[in-house]
Amino acid sequence: MKLGKLFITGLVAAQLLVGCSAASDTGNATSESSGGDVAKKIVVFQSKVEIIDQLEAAAKSYQDETAVEVEVHGTSGDDYFQRLKSELANNQGPTIFSLSPGAEITQLSNYLADLSDLSFAGDIADGMATEVDGKIVGVPYTVEGFGIVYNKNLIDPSAITDYDSFVKMLKDFKDSNLYGFGLSQESYFLIGHILNHPFAVMSDMEGYMEKLAKGEVKMAETPEFQEFAKFYEAIRDNSYNPLEVNYDKECGDFATGKTASIHQGNWSYSMFADYDVDFEMGLMPFPISGNDKLAVSVPTVWSINNQVSESEIKAGKDFLTWLYTSETGKRYVTEEFGFIPVVKGMESTSLDPLSAEVSRYAAEGKTLPWATNLYPAGVVDVHLVPVAQKFFTTDMTAEAFLLELDEAWAVATAS
Amino acid sequence: MRRSLNSRWYFLFVFPLFFIFTTVVLVPFCLGIGYSFVTWDGLPLNPKTITGINNYISLINDERFLSSAIHTLKFTLLTIITINILALIFALFVTGNINTRVRNAARTMLFMPYLIGGLILGYIWKFILGDAFKSIGETTGLTSVFFNWLLDPDFAVLAMVVVTTWQMAGYVMIIYITGIQTIPEEVIEAAEVDGAGFWIKLFKIKFPLIMQSFTVCLFLTMSNCFKIFDVNLSLTGGGPYNSSEMFALNIYNEIFSLNNYGYGQAKALFFFIAVACFTLAQVVFTKKREVEMQ
Repeated sequence: MKLGKLFITGLVAAQLLVGCSAASDTGNATSESSGGDVAKKIVVFQSKVEIIDQLEAAAKSYQDETAVEVEVHGTSGDDYFQRLKSELANNQGPTIFSLSPGAEITQLSNYLADLSDLSFAGDIADGMATEVDGKIVGVPYTVEGFGIVYNKNLIDPSAITDYDSFVKMLKDFKDSNLYGFGLSQESYFLIGHILNHPFAVMSDMEGYMEKLAKGEVKMAETPEFQEFAKFYEAIRDNSYNPLEVNYDKECGDFATGKTASIHQGNWSYSMFADYDVDFEMGLMPFPISGNDKLAVSVPTVWSINNQVSESEIKAGKDFLTWLYTSETGKRYVTEEFGFIPVVKGMESTSLDPLSAEVSRYAAEGKTLPWATNLYPAGVVDVHLVPVAQKFFTTDMTAEAFLLELDEAWAVATAS
Repeated sequence: MRRSLNSRWYFLFVFPLFFIFTTVVLVPFCLGIGYSFVTWDGLPLNPKTITGINNYISLINDERFLSSAIHTLKFTLLTIITINILALIFALFVTGNINTRVRNAARTMLFMPYLIGGLILGYIWKFILGDAFKSIGETTGLTSVFFNWLLDPDFAVLAMVVVTTWQMAGYVMIIYITGIQTIPEEVIEAAEVDGAGFWIKLFKIKFPLIMQSFTVCLFLTMSNCFKIFDVNLSLTGGGPYNSSEMFALNIYNEIFSLNNYGYGQAKALFFFIAVACFTLAQVVFTKKREVEMQ
């Protein structure tokens, strides 16, 4: 008898355990029962590590104003999209999440709520909102631009306009035991971003990428890529090995004057906050084919999960509206996040020097598109990085490099 | 009455684990077999297309997958040897005639690496084998040994071997210790009386009597090394140029980076069968060599 009781107690305990884990899984759905049209709690999951703290502060202000709790989840960066996908697949997705325009939007299009009815939807700058089938599904964070971030004391941008002057700059610095130009080991900083330039300087970039996917053209036979490979070779021969340098070190060496320029974008400015930078910096175009434009586009957009309850979707939209139209929200976006405004009625008076350059180039219309958004899914991490690693650890020639890139691209588009 | 009580007890203890095993291992495994016949990107709302055995056919032509198989075999073979030899030496050392304090300290220190998670371990060693080795080489001039191991295709695999050995040897040592401790004193003494030296005792008495430990240890190290993932991801990330990409990392990339859920499942199933074959063969092989104390 006693044992029988014990047995039942044990079973109950076991079930409690199982019950608990099931309950915690549905944490973000608790809001549904709390009544009303608007959920009392939403979850934001986003990929931009630079604004995590500031976004949490904004969430707090929002909670103070409206009593709606906003829970911000962060990530270290590289695994963001994978985590988002598994959360969505298990029906535990966040209310609001961030995506990059392009392959990510296409893949998740079945999960994206229609945001066309946001009050400020009409105020988003032309072509900046992400649309699927004519419906707005992504609200842009900001615009970002990348190119060469340079030290104004060491480099005169007007002197670097083509391949020859770029190489001369590299060699001059090498002679004085400095590095003229640097990359770093992270997939996009190693090859993802810099490979954008040969695509983007073409007059018909999208057409070329389509042909490339079909195998009708080869990078090895395209002049823009042949020149790019020469640039890459010059970087390998005249600068440090980027595989030994991570983003932190790359930015640190630049901030302390050991490297005269790095291939980065305006997002990297926050990386220099930890250093006493005693020089002015600027952002200039990567001089391939005499290019004088920066690659500027929308890096990330806010999207809302259409798999959560109506009230939660509504709460999510309210939060975005608050962020982009209320005085407090706008202050956070422009001042705290340091974003370049992309919605009418928002102005930023305190852009950092790099963002100011992006803003200036954008205003002058001197911008290149981002081919990176049209790359096949996963190509940079899985297929391009190995080729770049091989290039930087062996004596691979520029021709062989392009052949391997072609091969990697073909494998990526076939799968 | 007694019988039914016993079976109730039995049920009580087995049920929780059985429940967990079914939900997190058996069910997903069976579902996985089904998924390996479709083309799908892993998101429930996106379409699944049934493609039959196409996934398995492309497996045969997947050069990168096959080369990851070779890396895994190479790595597993090397690591089994190094782990087991080191673990045996450690075990013989701490069960030998040494001061109790030294023994306990040695045991703890040798076991410690196993308590560090594989990811963290990978990052720590990434620093040692990369940056630290490079600066040691630059200051001492011994650049033939001290260079960035992680940028050389052969040494990257070797780096994996070193780190995995460092992590696992202490754990395997514990199993060998229990094995050695079950050997009766009198057998050893009898051998000594018969004039057996250290090596004779080791090979003719101790090894046959701890054959069961060999079975367990070889099984553990083999299956662990085949399935290695965390250290691979954090230490080398498969680089340089895929030369240290193992099975598990390849499958992970296929599913999570390239979104080929179905194809990744096919790879995973192939992987499962391969690991099962190798480990079963090993268990059968070493079981035959076990001797019973009578």
